[in-house]
Amino acid sequence: MTSHSSTHAAGDDSHSEPGRVKLFVIIALILGIITALEIGVLFMPVIDPVRIAMLVVFSIVKFALVIFIFMHLKWDRLFCTLLFLMGLSLASGTVTILIHVFKVKDSVPLTSHASITAPAQLDAVSRTA
Amino acid sequence: MSNHSTAVTADPHLDPTTSTGIPNKKLLLWAFLASDCMFFGCLISTHLIYRLHPAPDNIDPTKVFNLWLTSGSTFVLLMSSLMMALAVNFIQKGRIVAMRWALAITIFFGLIFLGCQFYEFHNFVYEHGMTITGSIFGTTFFTLTGTHGIHVLIGVIWLTSMLIYSFSDRFSKADAIDIESMGLYWHFVDIVWIVIFTVVYLLEFVR
Repeated sequence: MTSHSSTHAAGDDSHSEPGRVKLFVIIALILGIITALEIGVLFMPVIDPVRIAMLVVFSIVKFALVIFIFMHLKWDRLFCTLLFLMGLSLASGTVTILIHVFKVKDSVPLTSHASITAPAQLDAVSRTA
Repeated sequence: MSNHSTAVTADPHLDPTTSTGIPNKKLLLWAFLASDCMFFGCLISTHLIYRLHPAPDNIDPTKVFNLWLTSGSTFVLLMSSLMMALAVNFIQKGRIVAMRWALAITIFFGLIFLGCQFYEFHNFVYEHGMTITGSIFGTTFFTLTGTHGIHVLIGVIWLTSMLIYSFSDRFSKADAIDIESMGLYWHFVDIVWIVIFTVVYLLEFVR
């Protein structure tokens, strides 16, 4: 956990000032290009699942670049990464679970289109029978 | 402002005076950011749930969203992150004047982002009649993006106060940890927006 922090000071070029500044600028350019690509994906002639996958991947790459380079997690102690990932995992888990919970028919919000039209559909089915 | 200045000089990421080896302020910030992840996770979940089960009279987001404006403000926020990272780098090398310029540009970019958000909200309310109480979509959208906007505003105030403090005689390279902690908060605001930009805005144009 401590080894990588002490070793980079010796010879890691990216940690020296010119190297680090150059790295930050390159990362910012990459982030800008990815943002432009995200807009481009919306106009690409591909099927929606591919488009969604590309947007999610772009978003994850941007997220990772910012936390590891701009937020220095790459050079910091592993404990900082673990602490943040713990919160991030709990948040991602909460989002995933809640979305799946609300997919269950009885959990669909009463204001939704599906909930409002469901009784009418049932009536129509019973009348047909 | 920083009482562990001697520990910062060798390696800005280490503080041998603490049991973890991590400066306490930085550890506190990381713990706070981890908890803030869960806060935004709940807001994003709420928005997504009501988007997946929209009300019959739900407004069509693709007709009200201005993709170019949001993309521009996203780019501005990403560039503000670059300036913030440079500000941290400059103070760690003792280049206080350069740090001040980087902080000032970060504040400028933050204000541009807030201006874009204000314009967007104003447009939604007065051009499209989309208010926070008018529909569920409005409620979840304004709550999520508004909470993020408040985070940006807090960041701008924090940056401004630190910029003003940097002109005092007490400010020195030893305060690098304060700038770095502030930078962590600012970058966090950026990564939250990266998620919101994709989930709330871009995915609307796919469905």
